[in-house]
Amino acid sequence: MADETAAPTAPPQDSRRETFAFVIGVAGWLVPGLGHALMKMWGRAAACFLTVGMLVILGAGMRGNVFSSSGNDAFDWLGYLADLGTGTLYLVAKSLETNGADVSHAGGDYGTRFLATAGVLNLLAALHAYEAARGRKA
Amino acid sequence: MNASIGFTLSHLQSMLLFALLISIAFGFLSRRRPIDRVKYIVWSLFLFLLIGVGIGWAMYPFSR
Repeated sequence: MADETAAPTAPPQDSRRETFAFVIGVAGWLVPGLGHALMKMWGRAAACFLTVGMLVILGAGMRGNVFSSSGNDAFDWLGYLADLGTGTLYLVAKSLETNGADVSHAGGDYGTRFLATAGVLNLLAALHAYEAARGRKA
Repeated sequence: MNASIGFTLSHLQSMLLFALLISIAFGFLSRRRPIDRVKYIVWSLFLFLLIGVGIGWAMYPFSR
């Protein structure tokens, strides 16, 4: 893993830095860890990709509920937003769960939480990458 | 991709995996030095498990 004690690389000018930070944030959301990888923070990139990816695979494998946009109530919508937080891995979860969700047992219910947590965790990582690109923290 | 997968995990296994993955992510995001990361991951994992088991025991009287 590369040395992450050094300050993150970012363009010097403020407007360019803002644009760069926005691109980093969106990239980090779309593909877990990509935002950090673009800033050469390899350890964090690998950790984000592996943990979010594992949570998605486990959640889908436990037949958790992958919420869709056709939700019936506010909780379905919140679940959908949380699941969307995984970016492109949302599509992976959808494709892995060909037999549909089964929340009639505890495993399926846990799977739903795993998927939602993966989304929220990825949003947190993307926000971290965005802030790091702005030079606020890392 | 059209490959269905399936896992059957116990309550304890689910909690352990969940706590471990979240602790690793938090450790890498919030600390820079490797030794600090390891300390944070171990401490976070311990607290996850302690609080999880504690809440489980606290709910035990209401389970029957």
